[in-house]
Amino acid sequence: MAKSSKVAVAAGAPSVFEFADQVSAREAAAPAPAPAGQLHLITFRLDGEEFGLPVETVREVIRVGDVTRVPQAPAHIRGVTNLRGRILPVVEIRTRLGLAPLVPRSTARIIVVEVRGRVLGLLVDSVAQVQKLPADRLVAAPDEVKSAHTTYLTGVVHLDDRLIILLDLALALDAPGASPS
Amino acid sequence: MSDDNAFADLIQDYIAECLPLAEAVTSAFLALERRWRDGDPDAADVARLKGTLHTLKGNSAMMGLAPMQLVAHVLEDLAAHVLADPAARTELAAALLVEGSGLLTDLVQAAADPAALAGAADEYAAQVRVHLGAAGDTAAAPLRLERRSTERRELGADAAGTIRVDFRRLDTLLEIFGEAMIERSALLEVHRQLAARYGARAEITDLDRVVTALGATMKRLETALMQTRLLPIARVFSRFGRSVRDLARAEHKRVRLVTEGDDTLLDKTILDRLGEPLVHLVSNAVVHGIEPEAERLAAGKPAEATLSLRATALADRVQITVADDGRGLDTDRILAKAQAHGLDVPSTDPAAVQALIFVPGFSTAERVSRVAGRGVGLDAAAAAIHELGGGIEVASEPGRGTAFTLSVPLTLAIVRSLIVEVDRERYAVPLSHVAETVRLEPGTLHEINRRGVAMWRGSAIHVADGGRLLGTESTRTAPRNYFVVLFAGPRRRGVLVDRLVGHQDVVVKGLDPTLGRPDVVSGATILGDGRVACILDAAGIVALREVA
Repeated sequence: MAKSSKVAVAAGAPSVFEFADQVSAREAAAPAPAPAGQLHLITFRLDGEEFGLPVETVREVIRVGDVTRVPQAPAHIRGVTNLRGRILPVVEIRTRLGLAPLVPRSTARIIVVEVRGRVLGLLVDSVAQVQKLPADRLVAAPDEVKSAHTTYLTGVVHLDDRLIILLDLALALDAPGASPS
Repeated sequence: MSDDNAFADLIQDYIAECLPLAEAVTSAFLALERRWRDGDPDAADVARLKGTLHTLKGNSAMMGLAPMQLVAHVLEDLAAHVLADPAARTELAAALLVEGSGLLTDLVQAAADPAALAGAADEYAAQVRVHLGAAGDTAAAPLRLERRSTERRELGADAAGTIRVDFRRLDTLLEIFGEAMIERSALLEVHRQLAARYGARAEITDLDRVVTALGATMKRLETALMQTRLLPIARVFSRFGRSVRDLARAEHKRVRLVTEGDDTLLDKTILDRLGEPLVHLVSNAVVHGIEPEAERLAAGKPAEATLSLRATALADRVQITVADDGRGLDTDRILAKAQAHGLDVPSTDPAAVQALIFVPGFSTAERVSRVAGRGVGLDAAAAAIHELGGGIEVASEPGRGTAFTLSVPLTLAIVRSLIVEVDRERYAVPLSHVAETVRLEPGTLHEINRRGVAMWRGSAIHVADGGRLLGTESTRTAPRNYFVVLFAGPRRRGVLVDRLVGHQDVVVKGLDPTLGRPDVVSGATILGDGRVACILDAAGIVALREVA
């Protein structure tokens, strides 16, 4: 699939009114940290599987606007987008996990995270929910999950019949083996 | 904020306040040294300098910075000594004053790590005490922590009505301005749509007026905002007083540094990147350009050489000249060396031959010296200037001297750009790097060795495909409509694009390190429609070796 530089959510270009809304949108402040013994996750879907990130690492969730490709950027970088006047790198985490790049639909979102002092956007198929659960529900990843997703996971949570895979945010950074700059 | 952070902020304030003072004292003592050497024992400004040293001592004491306090203190004693006794105004005393104020400048600059130079401070203080003791003075008075409450006010007095602002705040202002520009573009679009729908109604006419006025106001705001970011080039020039003196001394030469246009203003984004190339040029002049004293005398020139740094403001650029009255460039030798190295010599015209010294790896230096040898100076300086969107030229006359003329833009923060489209991606190209845009007519473009070549202004230039250069992964086969001739210094390269969208002032933003270090883009900006566009790195593109 040829990678398109434009990731328009709706058909056609977004109207200026939508754009103005986007500019003025100021989303909620960071949530309070979860009490000890509690795991506070934001969960999202990639290719039908459910993944989670600790809420404390997430700044906000935004709709997918125009993402501009950056020539010669590393393979896992989808491009950059305008986050209220700031230029936000958008990471294609699907390719990091061995999946094909996302063909965004209206459910697609960018999860804005702060990792090692950098603010980055993670492109996901959709955002599921915010989930509170006891910390002891987090267990080491079983082998079949490991083989599918190799590195970049910190554990899994079994919840009823769901399996939530916790991601390590290091995946958003440099290519495997590359020294962090 | 933690105490550590608070202290770090205080240290930054201390540096911001004291560094200009220490630099000013150093320049004044350098001038004094020159006067005394020439037999003019005037010490009229020493009383004022002593006051400044006292302020420096007080500020250092307040921060608990003992080495600075000590050096300022002994300098004050030394100043008092020469002030009181004209017979004490010797070259040695002047040299001690210069050395001390230079050391004080270094100490203030390194205030975040004061222990590093503490030994040097003690050593210097001992030296001054020996000097004063030998001059029949009583031992220096013990250090006293004194600070009059009026000192801070005195400091501000010569700059009434000015405040000091952290530069990052100005960057924030500029960012907010950038957002306002984008929002204005959105407003213009709404205005256009409304005008198309409702025609010439009274409300639309009112809106026309408001939109036009807003545009003019934004332009004024931009100009005013850029004004606040401008700093005098003296900030760069002032570094050279001492380094030229020290370097000349190490080379056993006598060099007089003259600066002109010190109050010429430039944006900090340029000033920060101007120091290094100037250091190369100035060192080069002292080490290679200026002859040893005996050679100068034999040629009937004054033993003391003159090195001048001159800044001139042009409309939207600043011209800086580094000129020496040394031996000049030896055109024959440059030519011989260029031919020996197999370099392409376009013409034997002296100007063309002299321009060869900017070619990477080329140097006419006979000796390899500590500072400017090894042939890295000039090409590195030229590359640094080209990256800024500037130019560098050399003019030289045998036996009369050499002058390097640099021309740099006023700012890198807001850059007038050409917006182009390649495979439906938009890019900003800084106009400072655009020589021309050319409409592609059938037969303009030729293929030689699978590279696109076009005749442009009488010579053949390489024209690369924008899509391949930028990796757009397009499958298009239709020819593109235009090529943009990019230049950086003497290098040129054409880039094929589909569309020229227009001109726009763009607020330049850096690329996050996560995005790697592309050769072909240098930053990004947000266009009027809110989309991000990458800024082409013209200097990088013209320097690429392998492009389609």
